[in-house]
Amino acid sequence: MRAYIAFTKKELLESLRTYKLLIMFMVFIFFGMLAPLTAKLTPKLLESLMTEGMQIIVSEPTALDSWTQFFKTVSQIGFIVVTVLFSGMMANEFDRGTFINILTKGLPRSTVILSKFTVASIIWTISYLISFSLCYLYTIYFWNGDGISNLIFSVSCLWLFGILLLAVILLGGAIFRSSYGCLMFVVGFIALLFLVNVVPSFQSYNPIVLISKNMSLLNNETVPEDLRVAILISIVFIFISIFIAVKIFNKKSI
Amino acid sequence: MDILKIEHLYKSFGQNEVIKDLTFSVPENSVFGFLGQNGSGKTTTMKMILGLLKPKEGSITVCGEQVNYGQTKTNRFIGYLPDVPEFYNYMTPFEYLKLCGEITGMSSNDIMMKSEELLDLVGLTKSNKRIGSFSRGMKQRLGIAQALLNSPRLLICDEPTSALDPIGRKEILDILQQVKDKTTVLFSTHILSDAERICDRIAVLHDGKAILSGTLTEIKAQHKRESLLIEFNTHIDKKNFIASDKIKPFLKDFEQMDRRIIIHTQDISGGQSTALEVLVEKSILPIRLEILEPTLESLFMEVIK
Repeated sequence: MRAYIAFTKKELLESLRTYKLLIMFMVFIFFGMLAPLTAKLTPKLLESLMTEGMQIIVSEPTALDSWTQFFKTVSQIGFIVVTVLFSGMMANEFDRGTFINILTKGLPRSTVILSKFTVASIIWTISYLISFSLCYLYTIYFWNGDGISNLIFSVSCLWLFGILLLAVILLGGAIFRSSYGCLMFVVGFIALLFLVNVVPSFQSYNPIVLISKNMSLLNNETVPEDLRVAILISIVFIFISIFIAVKIFNKKSI
Repeated sequence: MDILKIEHLYKSFGQNEVIKDLTFSVPENSVFGFLGQNGSGKTTTMKMILGLLKPKEGSITVCGEQVNYGQTKTNRFIGYLPDVPEFYNYMTPFEYLKLCGEITGMSSNDIMMKSEELLDLVGLTKSNKRIGSFSRGMKQRLGIAQALLNSPRLLICDEPTSALDPIGRKEILDILQQVKDKTTVLFSTHILSDAERICDRIAVLHDGKAILSGTLTEIKAQHKRESLLIEFNTHIDKKNFIASDKIKPFLKDFEQMDRRIIIHTQDISGGQSTALEVLVEKSILPIRLEILEPTLESLFMEVIK
């Protein structure tokens, strides 16, 4: 336990001093503010661009537009940023040989994986929380929050997918020694999820619904029960990924 | 008691057999030099001792306990200094030692005391800079400090002096000499003078086997091939000397270099007195006449031929 705490502290210090934490916070603060502002300002922007005689009918923006923007940015650029930032988690240490000292000191290899997963999850959760809070406050301020259902649930689904992504990144990092290998692995995993989604009968089991049904949850086209299986499968995936990552790392020549 | 025992060890990378039937042991409280050319498998062997690489066959025991690949409990007895030690660049030396101490399960008090003592030993006390700005020599010294942190019974150093300037090398050797009372040291090197300076036992790794192992004095005695060096003033003197019938019986095994000759013989005193007789007889005055002790270098060259 003491070794776990020590290594987790080291991971946090690393994120702080290598500016990983700062980048995550900045990016997600930006995303949180960007969504409501884009929703609010796009019609005005279009209006100002319109020349005499031209007519574009733009409906009045609503809170739903703001959330659409939020989910879109986080699930696309947000996850790309997360993947790029965290794909070096294992590779950097393999590459530089920093594992050698630490492991020959008797640190269990499973602790390395668990500590890294813990810290990545903490950073993701806090960044996401900040982002969501900002978006929420702005949205309430501009439109008030009426007519939106399942907001917390929908937002939590996206969060869970982020955790799944981190587990897969860690698994990729344990399998491949380079961060490119890890990136390819994550891209492959996401591509596989989309591929599976083509088969209609698999759709409700596919973790991808956690980031594709967010809006239909907000306007009640989808109810939380519809996602139950997918959530369960995602959680199982997370555990399996971490378990396999530990197993593979145990067998790795350093 | 043997602190490290390696028996019939084999390791190959693909088709390339690096270690073939390696057997040797390191007794407690010795400084053990592990010699061999570049690429002879020294680092590979060390990594197998640490459980970082999987041997193909054979057994390794540290302090009587079997080493298992992957999860290695025996590492609690060992301090390891890799050939190019890498640390977390964003930490200060003290923070790094604290991390290492916490991982090995030392108490906070012990960590404080031991860190100060070791940073003092390796001369990094005042360094509050981050490790990223350290020179190679400083990293090497910090490497020794971290390796000694948990008071290991066996200190393994992988070519600790190879990449350093003469001052850095001397510093590292001095530190190793200082710690040898408290811990057994196994260090690999291809710099023979370093080994000669601080080791009391050596093993020479060649073709994946230990072709020579034992105490330095023993090995030197075993391979004693006494030699007599005579350096002449001129080439003519040398020719005259060699042409003498008296010295002929001793010239079965000899080398010539420029104005020098080196005579190898079992009967060194006979050779020496005969040589002197010949010199007097022919009125040759040599510049130098010397009995050569076998050096580690000459032994090394001889055994890896």
